[in-house]
This record gives sequence, C-alpha cells and structure tokens, in this order.
Amino acid sequence: MMMLYARRRFRNMTMLVLSVGATLAGLGWLVLILWTLVVEGMSGLSLKVFTEMTPPPGSDGGLLNPIVGSLIMTSLAVAVGTPIGIFAGTYMAEYGRYSPLTQVVRFINDILLSAPSIIVGLFIYEVMVAPMGHFSAYAGAVALAVIVIPVVVRTTEDMLLLVPKELREAATALGMPRLYVIRRVSYRAAKAGILTGILLAIARISGETAPILFTALNNQFFSADLNAPMASLPAVIFQFALSPYKDWQKLAWTGALIITLAVLALSIIARMLAASRKTS
Amino acid sequence: MTFAITRMMAPVPVVGNPLPIGGGAEKITIRKLNFYYGDHCALKDINVSLYAKKVMAFIGPSGCGKSTFLRVLNRIYDLYPNQRAEGEVLLDGKNILAADQDLNLLRARVGMVFQKPTPFPMTIYENIAFGVRLYERLSKSELDGQVEQALRRAAIWEEVKDKLNANGLSLSGGQQQRLCIARTIAVKPEVILLDEPCSALDPIATAKIEELIDELKNDYTIVIVTHNMQQAARVSDFTAFMYLGEMIEFNTTTFIFTNPENRRTQDYITGRFG
Amino acid sequence: MSDAALQNSSIALLRGQVLDRLRLRDRIFHFSTVAAALIVLAILAGVIIALFIGAIPALCNFGAGFLVSQRWNPVTENFGALAPIYGTLVTSLIAMVIAVPFGLLIAVFLTELCPIWLRRPIGIAIELLAGIPSIIYGIWGLFVFAPFLQGTLQPFLIKVFGNVPVLSELFAGPPYGIGILTAGLILAIMVLPFVTSISRDVFEAIPPVLKEAAYGVGATTWEVVRNVVLPYARVGVVGGFMLGLGRALGETMAVTFVIGNAHRISPSLLAPGTTISATIANEFTEAVGDIYTSSLIALGLILFVMTFIVLAAARYMLLRIDRRMG
Repeated sequence: MMMLYARRRFRNMTMLVLSVGATLAGLGWLVLILWTLVVEGMSGLSLKVFTEMTPPPGSDGGLLNPIVGSLIMTSLAVAVGTPIGIFAGTYMAEYGRYSPLTQVVRFINDILLSAPSIIVGLFIYEVMVAPMGHFSAYAGAVALAVIVIPVVVRTTEDMLLLVPKELREAATALGMPRLYVIRRVSYRAAKAGILTGILLAIARISGETAPILFTALNNQFFSADLNAPMASLPAVIFQFALSPYKDWQKLAWTGALIITLAVLALSIIARMLAASRKTS
Repeated sequence: MTFAITRMMAPVPVVGNPLPIGGGAEKITIRKLNFYYGDHCALKDINVSLYAKKVMAFIGPSGCGKSTFLRVLNRIYDLYPNQRAEGEVLLDGKNILAADQDLNLLRARVGMVFQKPTPFPMTIYENIAFGVRLYERLSKSELDGQVEQALRRAAIWEEVKDKLNANGLSLSGGQQQRLCIARTIAVKPEVILLDEPCSALDPIATAKIEELIDELKNDYTIVIVTHNMQQAARVSDFTAFMYLGEMIEFNTTTFIFTNPENRRTQDYITGRFG
Repeated sequence: MSDAALQNSSIALLRGQVLDRLRLRDRIFHFSTVAAALIVLAILAGVIIALFIGAIPALCNFGAGFLVSQRWNPVTENFGALAPIYGTLVTSLIAMVIAVPFGLLIAVFLTELCPIWLRRPIGIAIELLAGIPSIIYGIWGLFVFAPFLQGTLQPFLIKVFGNVPVLSELFAGPPYGIGILTAGLILAIMVLPFVTSISRDVFEAIPPVLKEAAYGVGATTWEVVRNVVLPYARVGVVGGFMLGLGRALGETMAVTFVIGNAHRISPSLLAPGTTISATIANEFTEAVGDIYTSSLIALGLILFVMTFIVLAAARYMLLRIDRRMG
C-alpha cells in the first residue's frame, strides 16, 4: 500500500517537474527570440530609419519607403476587407443565424482563417497580377484583404452571438425593423469586440510576407503609385536578410523589430479593448 | 356585452355555467390558437378574449405555456425558426397571425417588457429616444418632451432627470425595468405585454412596478404573465390559469381566487401543486 | 369609431409610411450581408479554381509523375514535387513531435499547477507570442539559431549517432546549420504557442465537477490529468494539434530562411532540403517559362489540398467537442 502510494507520488512529481520545465523552456525560447530581436534591432534604430529610403548595398539609408508602403497597403486591405467581413459576420449571426448557408460559410471561413498565406499570394497573382501583366500595390492590398476577411468574419460573428438574445428581442418588440435592431443595438453591444477583431486582423497582416511577394513585389524606390510595385516592410526584410551585405542585414533586423513592436502594440490594445468590454 | 369562453378539461366535472364576465370592449380575441416548437405542441386550442384597458394576468406552473402565449401576441416568436402559431389572434378584429401582417407595425402597437431588464447599451435618454425617433421626425425640444413624458408615465423621471446621459446599465434593477416600461410606452402602444416583469426584482421595486401597472391600465390594455399568484391577485382584473399548454380557466380575478370552477385551478391557487 | 381608435389608426398610417422606407433599407442591408457571406465562399472557390487552372500546364505535361518525381530542373523544364512534399511533411512532423508534448505539458502547468495570479500573465504572453509574424522567427533562425545549432547540437548528434545503424543515416553529413532539422525546430517554436493556447482552452472547458470528483477520491494531480482531463479533452486537443499541423504545413517565412532550398531528398535530417512553401517563395518571381510557373502553382495546389484536409479534420473535431460541451 505505502509502496504503491510512494510510486504514485513519485510519478506525480516527475510529471509536475516536467510540466514546469516545459513551461520554462517554452517561454525561455520565446524570450530569447525577443531579446535578440531587441538587441539587434535597437542597434540600427535611428531617426534615419524613418526618414530615408532603402539604400543600395554598401551605403547608408532607412526604411521610409517600405514603412509607407506597408501602411498604404494595410490601410487599403482593411478598408476593403473589414466591411465585407463585418457584413458576412452580421449575416451569420443575425439574418442567417439559422440558415444552412451560415453553416457552410462558417466552415469555409474557418478553413480560410488557417489556410497558408502563400496560397493567397498565388491566388491573387493568378487573378490580378497575371491578367494585369504587372505587379502592383493594388494586388498586394487585395491579397492582404483576403487575409483580413476571415479574421473579421470570425470575430464579428462570435461577438454578435454573445449579444444576449433578450436585448435583440427587446429591440424587436419596440417594432424596430431588423436593420435598426442590428445597427443600433447589436452593433453597439458588440462594438468593442468587433473592433478587437479588426485590430487583430491588422496585427496579422502587418507581418505577412508570403502573400506580398508575388503581388506587390518590392520596390527600391519611393512610390505612391498603387498600380505599380510597392515596397513593404516584410518584403524588404526578406530581401535584405537573405542578402550578403551587412548593412542590409542590419536594416532587416531593425525592420523586424519595428514590425514586432507594431504587432505587439496592436495585440495589447486589442486585448485591453476586449477587457474593457467585460467591465462596461 | 361579450362573453368570454371558459374552457373546461374533459375529465373534470363541470360545475355551474360559464359566468358572464363581460369586461367591456374586446381588444384581443383569440380563437383556436395552437402553438408549436417544431413538433412539440406548446399551446393547445386556446380561446380567450382580452379586454381593452384592463389587466389580464396569466398564471400557471412553469412550462405551462403562459410565456409562449405572450410571445404570440406580438409575434416575437417569429425571430426563431421552427416556431409557428395556428388559429386566430384578432387585434381590433384583424388577425395578426395572417401572412400579410406587418410585424414592425404590430410590435409598435403591442409593446413588451421582459423578465430580465433589458436596457440598451446607450444612455438613459437614448434608450427612450431610440424608438420614438424611428417613427416620428421631431425637433430636439419635442423629442425631449416625449422622453420626459414617457419617463414620467413610468414613474422614473424624478430618479433619472439629472442623469439622462448616464448609461442605462448604471441604474438599479427596478429602475432598469421601469426604464424598459418607459421605453415601451414611448412608442405609444395600445397593448403592453409584461413577461414576469418583477421576477428579478426585490419587493420594494416590485411594489413600484405594481403601482405603475395600476396606473397604466387607464390607457393601455395590459397582459401580464407571472408565477406569483399574489401579484396576479393584486394587479389584475382578470386571471387565466394555464396548465400543460391549455387554458384551464379564465375569469375575473376575484372569481378565480375565491371560487374557481376547476379543481386544478383550485389546487394551484391553494398551493397544492405547481 | 371612438376618438382613441381614430387616433390609433392615424398613428398606424403614419408609421406605415415611415416603415415602407425603412423596410427598403432593411432589404438592401440584408441583401448586402448575404452578398458578403457569398464572397467568403467565392474566395475559397476562387482559390481552388485559380490554382487548378494555373496548374493545368504542369499537370498535363508531367501527369501523375509530378507527384513522385524528385527532379527539379529549370533548365530542361523538368519538374517533380516529391522533394518539396517530403520536406514539408518531415519538417512538420519534427515540429509536431516536439511542440505537442511541450504544448500539453505547458497547458497542464497553466491549468493545474500555476498559481492563479500567474495564469493570466503567462496566458497572455503565450497568446501575444502566437501573433508574432513568422518572418521574425525566420530571421532569428537564420542569424542566431542556425549558427548555434551548427556549433553545438549538430556536431553532437553526428558524434553520438555516428556509429549507430539507421540513426547514423539520419544524422549524417557535415553540420551546415541550416537544413531540415533546423527548419523543423523553428517550426516547433512557432507552433508551440498555438498548440499551448488551444490545449489550455480545451482543458479549461472541462467541467470542474469532474476534476473535483477525481481529486475527491484521492487522485494525484497527474492522475487527474491522465485519467480525467486528457480523455475528456482528447477530441479537442487532437483538433488543436491538427490546426497546428495545418499551420506548420503551410508556414512559409520561418522555413524559407533556414531550409537551404535544395531540391533533393536526403536521408540525413542535417542536410538542406526544401518545402513546398519555401520553393514557391524562393522561386516564383524568378520563374521563367509557363511550365516552371505552372509547376510552382501545382505545388501550391498540392499544399492547399493537404492543408484543406488537415484543417477540415481539425474543424470537425473541434466542432464535436463544442457540441459535447454545449
């Protein structure tokens, strides 16, 4: 009896030690990655990064054009993808809550949500770049929009489903047409949640590289022409990191730090928003 | 003068004749109403008349169909699939179950207050103005007037007049419920449905709502569902007892509580089951 | 008609007019939401159709042989997908073999052992890390992790397994730093937060009564995990792993930096290789000729089919556990 108990306790201790170890190891790796990123990235961080263009190999420069390019394409993608995502999510949680179409859309959307982003790049290449005959910022933005849509659809649906049905019934019982029930009551109740979804979508696309590579390509120079190739932070990091030039590699690290900080900031704001929803 | 139909259960011996319980003009007349959740029949062959500017209370053990009955009167059940009503519900002589019935118009005429207070996530002022603005184009001062009037009628004006811009959720439960009543009144309904409006409230808040109901029946036809028999006895002019989806007995409240014809009604109000 | 009734009917008339206008708007809005929902379907259909059409030239040219050939010669325009498929599967396998036990153990720690005040910070940290773009892992892998492995783990593996049959094949050759093993390890680090947070969510959804009942009869923490938590959460956890696997299979940037981009199947895990996504990322913009481009798109199609199956299975399992937990 005591022997058995001792063995059980020993096994228990072993597994507990292992799980603590796994946690430390897992977090340790991630801390290590962030630490390197901060050390390598900070050393190249200066005002010039935000004011000068990407340099030719061997000379000084910054990341102005890719930063601007990323901002432009991200904004476009959000502008295109968010309404579609919110509308589709609205259909699934409101008008079409019990319709079979919703079941299908939910399944397909979940697939799109985790589908490899490089596939999206190929898709947009086939339907936009190839027919137009050249790479363009438009194509890059659309590719990013395709990634934004499923994220927004998912959060919008989830958040609208969380709106208590009593609230919806109460608004309906006042004689409101559905449109007003949705816009004035459901959206208002789900506002913070939906906004969180949009922020998370922005965080997601601001680091996406694969879908940009074959759509917006890259651009050594500053360009605001949406119909032409455009630089973006991820694409420049990809190009510079794999180059043999030291200053390019340094800029790649700096770019990586900027992206990571932006993504972390967005995620934290999104999280705070989500938390404020619970208390209000 | 009209005669309400008192429905009898088959195996129970019928004592006496249905009494003339005329209560004035019929606002809503219900004939052969059946209601289904999918295949499950939740209301069976309901026949009853609801009188204008009276308070009708529906009592019965939980699951007896009293809330379902209420949800038919403004067709709120239409929000959900697989729920359907058969028969006739005549509001001022017009069948609201007809396919061509405009639901928004119906619900503007037949307001509803729910079990749990449901203030919208907006200011107290907006909670009221919200419904008014939808139907009427009003100037700011006219709208202010209507909001104040509705809040006064719901006996909550004095408590909120200084914080109209506060969130509706910041009020106490009883205040929230009166806010919801004010919101319903603001749309100028003819009938008000109350679905266990006090079940989430403390006794003091409950007393205020009951006073309010007494006040409101001067202008509105009120149908209240309650699991609280004393409440039904206190506030209503007529009481219906429902059991397993059937209307067992409908009569004046005094009659139901002193001299019910049906043994089940008697058992229920004397607390022998339910 | 009484005065009141007259007033009521005039109110009704007015409301009717207002409502007619609102109803039209409602219908337009309703229609727009349906259209948006259909766009979601159209995107998936579009992806499948576009990839399929793009892949036709390659598939016609090489037939089923495309799947089993490991040739990849842009000069003679002779392409086969076997090497990238092999690399994709092996790197994902390595990633899952490492990430799954680690993820499970961390989830156990978070739900059963961790002091309450520490749960939220660690949970948040893990979710934030799951959101870090993969290119960050890639650049770190290239500049930090690969040189580190080249100097430590790889020579060690070669020395230890050098004389063991079979294993010596797996760990043969010079330590390049980059290669299949490195890519698999980077993937593991990337997938870890993902697997952890899903496992934790599933564990947390278990009704506390069940665990309390087991503790109540004197079970140790590990026994509760082993006999109550894991069996109960099995379907959900497996679903979570499949989601992680779907991610690992399609992951591009983290792998592209460290895989070495060599189109050959080598028995050694230390040798450079390639994956489907790395091949596409590296070569697509430089591909000349229809057959070359088409072969890369055909690779994309294969990747899509693989991830679709894995993700569909994952969703199916997660759906089942959602239902069971109501």
